Amino acid sequence: MDEITSVFVTESREQLEAMEAALLQLEDQPTDADILGAVFRAAHTIKGGAGVIECQFLVAFTHVVESALDKLRNGEIAANADLIALLLACSDHMGHLIGVLESGAAAPDDGLRADGDALLARLQRDWLSAEGAQDATPPVAAPDEALESSGGGAVETDCWHISLRFGPDVLKNGMDPLSFLRYLGTLGRIERLETLADAMPPADEMDPEACYLGFEISFASSADKAAIEQVFDFVRDECVLHILPPRSKLADYIQLMMALPEDNMRLGEILVRIGALTQAELDEGLRAQSAGSENAEEDAVPAPLGEILVEQRVVQPELVEAAVVKQKQVTDKKAAEARLIRIQADKLDRLIDLVGELVIAGAGVNLLASRAGHADLTEATSIVSRLVESIRDSALQLRMVQIGETFNRFNRVVRDVSKELGKDIELVISGGETELDKSVVEKIGDPLMHLVRNAIDHGIEAPEVRVERSKPPRGRLELNAYHDSGSIVIEIVDDGGGLNREKIARKAVERGLIQPGHTLSDQEVYALIFEAGFSTVDQVSNLSGRGVGMDVVKRNIQSLRGRVEVDSHEGRGTRFSIRLPLTLAIIDGFLVDAGSAGYVIPLDMVVECMELEAGGGERNYLNLRGEVLPFIRLRELFEIPGEPPRRENVVVVKSAGQKAGIVVDQLLGEFQTVIKPLGHLFRNLRGIGGSTILGSGEVALILDVQALVQIAARDEERSLSYSPGGRSGVAG
Amino acid sequence: MKTIFLVDDSATILLSISGILTKAGYGVEKANNALEALKKFQAGVKVDLLITDLNMPGMNGIDFIKEVRKLPAYRFLPILFLTTESQQTKKAEAKAAGASGWIVKPATADQLLSTIKLVMR
Repeated sequence: MDEITSVFVTESREQLEAMEAALLQLEDQPTDADILGAVFRAAHTIKGGAGVIECQFLVAFTHVVESALDKLRNGEIAANADLIALLLACSDHMGHLIGVLESGAAAPDDGLRADGDALLARLQRDWLSAEGAQDATPPVAAPDEALESSGGGAVETDCWHISLRFGPDVLKNGMDPLSFLRYLGTLGRIERLETLADAMPPADEMDPEACYLGFEISFASSADKAAIEQVFDFVRDECVLHILPPRSKLADYIQLMMALPEDNMRLGEILVRIGALTQAELDEGLRAQSAGSENAEEDAVPAPLGEILVEQRVVQPELVEAAVVKQKQVTDKKAAEARLIRIQADKLDRLIDLVGELVIAGAGVNLLASRAGHADLTEATSIVSRLVESIRDSALQLRMVQIGETFNRFNRVVRDVSKELGKDIELVISGGETELDKSVVEKIGDPLMHLVRNAIDHGIEAPEVRVERSKPPRGRLELNAYHDSGSIVIEIVDDGGGLNREKIARKAVERGLIQPGHTLSDQEVYALIFEAGFSTVDQVSNLSGRGVGMDVVKRNIQSLRGRVEVDSHEGRGTRFSIRLPLTLAIIDGFLVDAGSAGYVIPLDMVVECMELEAGGGERNYLNLRGEVLPFIRLRELFEIPGEPPRRENVVVVKSAGQKAGIVVDQLLGEFQTVIKPLGHLFRNLRGIGGSTILGSGEVALILDVQALVQIAARDEERSLSYSPGGRSGVAG
Repeated sequence: MKTIFLVDDSATILLSISGILTKAGYGVEKANNALEALKKFQAGVKVDLLITDLNMPGMNGIDFIKEVRKLPAYRFLPILFLTTESQQTKKAEAKAAGASGWIVKPATADQLLSTIKLVMR
């Protein structure tokens, strides 16, 4: 795909989103001019761009949509639910067509084309048919036969005759009369030219910025009339232009002279001088004219005048002014949004990669400097590392995008799905300006979609049920995003029926996920819905509830190094919280070692460090200022051979509100960690989130704290409720 | 070298037209919205021709043309607007605002360049 096409695809997708958002707004405010304008503009921009890249199928489709939107904008048709639904479908179809373009196919396949035709047919039939879509053809210059006249022989000349009187504002509109003549010269040869300054007032009345000039031109050219007229397109409305083809009838010249403001005798002389007419022809013509003037004036003269003379058209200034004021109000806000630079994502990725390398190389330099024990060198390298850190942060910031765009997509989903299910649901979005890494945003869409659909499908009840439960009939679905200590939290909150604890527990027992009689906290019960193959919905709807899904949602989120939690109150609603790392590329880490290998713990999760008191024994928990803190030993978990050192350390980490300790040999301090993903082979490894390269060139593994905390908690629980010793290893 | 100032909210159009202009040996200044462009004009940017879209979010092209015309330095600057709407009203409105002419999108490189040649001094 070439650069323009790829820019176009990106841009059009944005425009489609804007169009869709505006269409949805239109449901509530069907006559709002700003919204109508926004919808139109989106379609218009897409069509314009599609024209530039010569994507005909998209132009053709969008053109009809644009026509309908134009009518809508001009108040010729009114928006109602049907039309909005149809236009939404059209915007979807445009999305598909852009997909076709993106895929590199030359044209949409038959199915897609049939869909498009069906949509267009509906638009034409229901909304455009009365007036038809005639605006497809631009108004063409009047055809030649206009110059049909009475009597008189043809004039003997092979030249066109052009009479031109410029309007006074030509110069003020940035046009130079001379440039038209020059341009005319590109169509043929200007045989003779006579300049008329008759309209020029006396010097004291003259406006030096106005144009008073006129020209009589004899022009030899093989171009047709339309082409010659086109030269003067830009000034047609304010100038007087007459074009007589070669061998026009004498009477036409006479009519021309009558139509022009100058004195007939003077014009006649000029026509003769430039060779348009001979003196004899002129005399004959004038004689015929004066003789037949009584009856000729009524039919012959007025007709061509009306034909050729285009009256000056000026729009009432009041109208424009009123529009200006209104436009201005929205202007300032939008301009701020538009101050963006568009760059290709892979350029950014390259930069981030380089910054990553820089961080690693910097760590190497730091290491050497500290080994050398040279104070000045250490000083200098520490300045460099501080700068590298700033560069890292700024570079990562470049990849940050607002989540609002992703959120806004759900307006449509909520609208469509709730309609389909006969529910009335309001979507409330907050924190749309929260930023997170672009690659995270891209991947979070699917899990979010699933959770939102779930909330609509299973969470929020039908209006009747809600009324029975004394809730407002209109359900409420919230999408929130906010930052929380190094991560971003996305919440999907509904005010529906909530999760049924008993039902989930029963089901879990049925499926063998838990032992009967096993007591679980609410949190643990709710967490069961994320287990594979779990679904409590008896009736399978076409939206969700097929029993696949929540486990996939969880997996997707985990693959982003995030996690999902659920909290629910029966009868009051459910809250899903997705917690994601801000970035996937570089983090601040805490370097520890166990055995001879280094491990990195994400610094955000480290609460404190302490020495492990000797004699902890078999117990896997310690007393942290009166609190029970379960811990795991990295040596045991990873089955590292060798004796642990005499003094071990505990890193207290916190994940999702749960604390746990990780026992390691040594604490090596903070370390900027460039995350290198693990290979495919290690995808299912629990407890390890990735790897990184240390300044010394060695590889260190990055610990997946969340998984470790779970392992620690579970082990501790097992050792308490069953028998000690059954510790889970790193499960594959 | 003659410089052309190009204003359009569509990145596709900006890219394609500026490509054509650059290849034809013009210098090109770009802005993707009228307010940004207007600021540059108020700061006295040196241009020989302004090409602007009409239908843009924020300040529209017609208001933009009016504002540019109000600046003494650009009273006689040739201004072309980009349009796909062949309706006369838009053209008349833009002309009334002080535009010199228009370019119908999508234009071929030849059409574009010959129109520019027509209005450029």
